[in-house]
Amino acid sequence: MGIETSNKEITNSIRENAKKLLSEDQVDVIIGYSQGTVPLSSTPIIIRKEEDVDKLIWNNLCYINLARYLAPLMPQLCDSERKPLRIGIVAKGCVARAVNVLAAEKQVDLNKIKMIGFNCNGIINRSKIDQEIGEKEMLDVAISGDDIIVKGRDWEKKFPYNQYINELCKVCQVKMPSATETSCVGECQELDSIHDEFSDITDFESKSADEKWAYIKDLLQVCTLCYSCRQACPVCYCNLCFVDQNKPIWFGKTTEYQDIFTFHLVRAQHLAGRCVACGACSSVCPVGIDLNFITRKLEKIVKNRFDYTSGLNAETVPPMMDFKMNDAQEFMLEED
Amino acid sequence: MTETVLEEKKVDEKWEPKIIAFLCNWCSYAGADLAGVSRIQYPPNIRIVRVPCSGRVNPYFIIKSLTDGWDGVVISGCHPGDCHYISGNLVARRRFAILKELLEFFGIEPGRVNFMWASAAEGERFAVLIRKATKIVKQLGPNTKFQKEWC
Amino acid sequence: MDQKILKKNQIGKLYKELSGEYSFFAPINKKGNIVFEKIENAEDIILDYLNSKIPPKSVLFPQEEVLFEYTLDDKDIEITDRQDLEQKYLIFGIRPCDAYSFELFANFFSFHGDWKDEIYLKKKENTTLIGIGCNTPRTTCFCTSVGGNPFNKENMDIFLSDLGDSYLVEGITDKGKALIKKLSWLSDATKNDVKKAEELAKKAEELITTKIDVDKVVENLSTCFEDPVWDEISEACIGCGSCAYLCPTCTCFDVIDETDHYNNRGRRIRIWDTCQSCLYTMETSGHNPRDTKIQRCRNRIMHKFSYYPTNYDLLGCVGCGRCIYVCPANNDLRVILDKIKKIEKKEGEKVVA
Repeated sequence: MGIETSNKEITNSIRENAKKLLSEDQVDVIIGYSQGTVPLSSTPIIIRKEEDVDKLIWNNLCYINLARYLAPLMPQLCDSERKPLRIGIVAKGCVARAVNVLAAEKQVDLNKIKMIGFNCNGIINRSKIDQEIGEKEMLDVAISGDDIIVKGRDWEKKFPYNQYINELCKVCQVKMPSATETSCVGECQELDSIHDEFSDITDFESKSADEKWAYIKDLLQVCTLCYSCRQACPVCYCNLCFVDQNKPIWFGKTTEYQDIFTFHLVRAQHLAGRCVACGACSSVCPVGIDLNFITRKLEKIVKNRFDYTSGLNAETVPPMMDFKMNDAQEFMLEED
Repeated sequence: MTETVLEEKKVDEKWEPKIIAFLCNWCSYAGADLAGVSRIQYPPNIRIVRVPCSGRVNPYFIIKSLTDGWDGVVISGCHPGDCHYISGNLVARRRFAILKELLEFFGIEPGRVNFMWASAAEGERFAVLIRKATKIVKQLGPNTKFQKEWC
Repeated sequence: MDQKILKKNQIGKLYKELSGEYSFFAPINKKGNIVFEKIENAEDIILDYLNSKIPPKSVLFPQEEVLFEYTLDDKDIEITDRQDLEQKYLIFGIRPCDAYSFELFANFFSFHGDWKDEIYLKKKENTTLIGIGCNTPRTTCFCTSVGGNPFNKENMDIFLSDLGDSYLVEGITDKGKALIKKLSWLSDATKNDVKKAEELAKKAEELITTKIDVDKVVENLSTCFEDPVWDEISEACIGCGSCAYLCPTCTCFDVIDETDHYNNRGRRIRIWDTCQSCLYTMETSGHNPRDTKIQRCRNRIMHKFSYYPTNYDLLGCVGCGRCIYVCPANNDLRVILDKIKKIEKKEGEKVVA
């Protein structure tokens, strides 16, 4: 069915499920998305009363990963004694994956969380549309049938939806929450593993070291180290991030390429086995850097080495919190 | 990911790489010591930093070494199963696996950062592997990718 | 007639003539983002743009800036101050809102006369601003609500009005007028050109749709420090700091020492910092007076719309709208100010800036 129609259906299903959870007193608050005030955006919102459920929407611009608000738990989601409230969370597949990862790391209590699941149909690639439109002001972005219609003051442009979604959404295999029936209302399925060839990055990996360096330098050079990617990431919840450490200072915070490079490299190392490929980091970047290829590489490493996909459930021990005697060690230096 | 592929590069014959080596106290450091006592020659390019266990080696150390300008990094620990702290090297092995794949992905030449196991009784093996690592790094040339402008 | 005409195809000539004496900064396209950078090649200059992503404060107050360098030996530390502050800058293509932000910078960097930041002030003294009026303001622009105008000429040295294939050139300050005199090849403007520019100015002002009752906001902010409205306002915020980094009036910075201990030398640099960072107010004791997102969100609004008017008698916002269209969580400033405007004033509560 057309994207526009399925968006309407998803919106209705979210509102119905939210109403059900609030009226049956299964949750105290619901976090979801509401209509944005500027084109290509949506605003996360907290609902506390049944009559407000009509503020919840789903369109393909809901790129913030709502699990980000769960760790560290923001004060608006706690009661007066700073204890967590029961939370309903509008969960596309990657949001549910993030909740599972946080639960596996003991940052949230799954008993207090209810996911409102649905079958996500993708997120629009903001920076790609931005670049195509250029320096004209967009006044409205909407889905019509299977197209994205962008309107300006006296112009209109059409983009085919399937070509202008996030690269991660194109290859996504966990479109609805992977969760049990008890923790999820709406659509969900219990997944044990996914199958992925990662053919989109094997071409890149076959390049020489210098070519890879040049490509990544070109991509990351415009980074302003604003840390929006880190802030938007649901699994980046450290109280003291490594870039802020000053006893000792590990890595610089200037925008010289050395510091930009080390930030993204070390953050990738910290995300191994935990990244849920939601694409929020790329969507929030104010200068439009596409960090998706790093995300795909992280998924590939843990899939091929440890046969693990993050966030499918909260029980499997994440690979970086575990070790086995017979782990692969082909990368070790050995005598000839 | 198999053998380190050595790229053809013209390198000044007289240039010697500076390699920093993190050796675990109980196995590799003792192994290096044994190589010395047994008069087994190994290249003087390495500067050793003794750590209690290879599991102590934080990826920050490795990345900071590269950004500070070291041409190569070697991390050496006990063989799996022989760790003095039972499982430190097993934890480290997974960490190193991820780091090596990421470093390669970001365009750092494979061969700059090497991991190895060497026990306290393997003086000869230690020397052989250090000789191999130095040869690899020497062929890669100086580490210039991380130079900050004022350095 | 004092006004001149600069044809758009003469920009290359302008660059060639001035780039010897000045560091010529103009908007370029950097991977899809308009930013002000030093021009090496006149063809890189972008003339058809709404406003830059990163504000032109980055020219005089760059994201990282060396304060001084030092070398160490056994006994002494030798400090070398900045040697390049006599360099002249020229910023071409700045918008009226951003030009006004330099007025606010002057207040911040001279602390009301008590202490002066030599590095910034020296550079500003040696800077010439050539601005261009906004023919088509964005829907997120609200400069008219904060005392500005899309064709405000006050803070520029030379003001250009975009007439289509040429610019109407007006010298505003003595520095600007002297520069125009130097560019003797500029042709004279006609009465029609001047009339067209005036019409464009009028049309631009009418195109600004966002109007905010800032006076009511400032009044309310003096008493609503503890109001529960801040919980609602800071809900969606993810604490990224994009708003602060891309704000033309945000000036906060951190100071760090970078050392090259292999060579016994180092340098002290300052880098942009943001009050939205959770460690911004972390004290040495470990106490953090602003450790919740609510307090940090509140601080930003208070700083721009309450502390600035109290301390400097100026509004800390120029109405450029960057924070509105860049915020990843779409925490719209207009919605925030609207909520604040609607609070009922409480007696007896006063915030001390």
